[in-house]
Amino acid sequence: MLKDYQTGIFFDEMMQPDATPKPHYQWFYQLVQEFSEQELMEKHETAQLNFLRQGITFTVYNQGNQLERTMPFDFIPIIIPEKEWDTIETGMKQRMKALNLFLEDIYNEQRIVDEGVIPRDLVENNPYYYYDQVAGINIPLQNHIFLSGVDLIRDEYGQYRVLEDNLRNPSGMSYVFQNRYVMRQVYPELFFNHSICTLEHQISELHQAVMSHVPDGCEGEATAVLLTPGSYNSAYYDHMFLAQQMGIELVEGRDLLVQDDVVYMKTIRGLKLVDIIYRRIDDDFLDPDAFRPDSTLGVSGLLNAYKKGNVAILNGIGNGIADDKAMYVYVPDMIRFYLGEEPLIPNVETYFLSDPERLDYVLRNMKDLVIKNVGASGGYDMLIGPQSTEEEREVFREKITQEPHQYIAQPTIKLSRAPAYQSGRVYPCHVDLRVFVMNGKEMNVLPGGLSRVALKEGSLVVNSSQGGGGKDTWILSEGGGVNA
Amino acid sequence: MLSRTADALYWMARNLERSENNARVLNVQLIHMLEAADRNILDRDWEEVLEICASYEDYMTRYSRMERGTMIEYLTTSPINPNSIEVCMSIARDNAKTTRDIVPTELWEVLNEFHLDYQDNSDHMDTLSRTKDYLKTITRTSMTAQGVIESTMSRGIPYTFIKVGKWLERAEKTARILNVICEKQKREELQHTADNYYYWLAALRFLNGYDSFIKEHPPTMDSAYVLDFLIREESFPRSIAYCMKHIEEAVKELEGGDVRHYSEELFRLLEIIGTEINETSIHEMNMEELMVFLDHFQKQCTALSSVFMETYYLSAPTPVR
Repeated sequence: MLKDYQTGIFFDEMMQPDATPKPHYQWFYQLVQEFSEQELMEKHETAQLNFLRQGITFTVYNQGNQLERTMPFDFIPIIIPEKEWDTIETGMKQRMKALNLFLEDIYNEQRIVDEGVIPRDLVENNPYYYYDQVAGINIPLQNHIFLSGVDLIRDEYGQYRVLEDNLRNPSGMSYVFQNRYVMRQVYPELFFNHSICTLEHQISELHQAVMSHVPDGCEGEATAVLLTPGSYNSAYYDHMFLAQQMGIELVEGRDLLVQDDVVYMKTIRGLKLVDIIYRRIDDDFLDPDAFRPDSTLGVSGLLNAYKKGNVAILNGIGNGIADDKAMYVYVPDMIRFYLGEEPLIPNVETYFLSDPERLDYVLRNMKDLVIKNVGASGGYDMLIGPQSTEEEREVFREKITQEPHQYIAQPTIKLSRAPAYQSGRVYPCHVDLRVFVMNGKEMNVLPGGLSRVALKEGSLVVNSSQGGGGKDTWILSEGGGVNA
Repeated sequence: MLSRTADALYWMARNLERSENNARVLNVQLIHMLEAADRNILDRDWEEVLEICASYEDYMTRYSRMERGTMIEYLTTSPINPNSIEVCMSIARDNAKTTRDIVPTELWEVLNEFHLDYQDNSDHMDTLSRTKDYLKTITRTSMTAQGVIESTMSRGIPYTFIKVGKWLERAEKTARILNVICEKQKREELQHTADNYYYWLAALRFLNGYDSFIKEHPPTMDSAYVLDFLIREESFPRSIAYCMKHIEEAVKELEGGDVRHYSEELFRLLEIIGTEINETSIHEMNMEELMVFLDHFQKQCTALSSVFMETYYLSAPTPVR
């Protein structure tokens, strides 16, 4: 199957340049050899169908039409030896701790600005900085980041680097569970001889993290809900899955009501008090009284209930200040400032275009750089220099000259690759890894995470809205151990 | 349970039941069509089928002539007809989708599978045999879904809302079918026994009651016996009495046997309906009186549905300010 596989100039997760597997993929490699081509085709079909039949879909909008799409699944897992994973885990905890301290600081004393570590205008001009709305609120556990989905990539040397922090509404955790589930259903043979870190207790960890944010005044057992924009939202499956698995009510804005600064949900027996809201609605749509008045998804008066401490909202309001592409540059400084430590997992080198010297350099080297809008996500408004046409570069030259503060640039990283099996053949595809960090009384990193793969050959964009797929992620104890 | 969720479960059940019922009526009609020799009878039957499954008036306003292919499409796949099978199935699926955290996974999968298989239905109705296959799939899908509900769901609140939706839909459909057929008989004033036989046989077939009926009664299709069976036979699961009795029991269970202030009206109405059914002597009524009774009962079903929805705040919640 992998006879003619070429690793090229990239770091490959599975294969070595001489077409032999890396040690931690040895067992997997051998087990796969036992499948016939026919079997591989059939299993591949079965796996895709499994997602479709179960309706594990996300919604894409195309010319006004809503389409339900499945995320293509690739059966070749990303395998990470436990030792390597330990470093990632510790690095993630370090980063989240610092980012949380930053959020607590920036909405209270602002020490980090006063001491000149982060420029004041970068904070104050940020459209996601909701100082007026949420400054000085005493939130449960002083925790702003209940769940983050940190996107990691590996460069050509195999070094993990953080690409994005995603501290607002990271989605995709349901896929981690479903990828594992389908993998076990369709490819049970591949689990032989592997000792893989289980996901079994992770939902209960997540549930505990939610429940630990109980507001001070709450008497008796707290009631938590998951607030979704509704079934037309692209990540609705994710919302549904998490609510169902945690056994909490899946509510929409119209199911909630605020009376005298207390939040209730409308049930068949009348109003029921709500203590904790795990919301999957963005800040600006959360409460039409406090943010966008045209929001029909939110709940009037929710912010006041939050301010009064009558309800916990997860993730906290105003987290957008900490995970935009400009603030990202300062996260290593935050780690040094708040924790007095060196960052364990580095950033990708990033240039601000508001710096005239940098701007000049970027304009001259557009072909070698990736340029991103600081406010965009999902792979939109982004220029990948080496793959761009002259026209596209011209458009971006115009944009960044007009609004330099709106853009950042990064050197094109030679994103690592892994083999993917599609349409009967195996070829190398770029991958990244979204790691989920849950935080309540304790911090917990979900072992593995969502490996995303750019299935279009040569593509660097792994987002599911743009043709990306998913892979199972295995944390392997004892570096490829023998006991299943 | 959230009111919105209860509402979705209730309407999921009603729409699923409605598509199954309409599929059965249409299927019976397709078989009758092959058997009927007289061209006039054939056309008159379609009028009744349209009235049972949708609205004859709405259809005629739009198309103004009865053409078989058009009517079949109108009843099966048409997005214009709010009661077409396709529209009902799609409402059922949407409601299942928003309650996936509540309903059994297999229930969602059954409805989703139908959706995936018949997404592109433009050429499904081009031959009679394809139409019949389609109708069979609808019936099977509905029965499978009900099997999943019965065999996997806990007998709790969500289950109750599903079942009440189903029974109400059934009772109403039974009344509607009987009403349409009574009216037809009266209009034509054919005291011809052969025609009589044919209509009441159709009523039994529309309601899947023929087999059960002939086990207890002579196959003469005496209208009083058929009506009594379809209205009052407590052991037949599509009779009006059966459905009403089960709704009453379900609501009692939901309320733990107590009548509280907010459920007073609901219990009162259920009691009235129960009495009305029990004290009606079908055998002593003429066609005119029967139609009045059935008309009244259909109105009671509508009233019951809205009282039930009000009691549990089912109507779509609106923002308070």
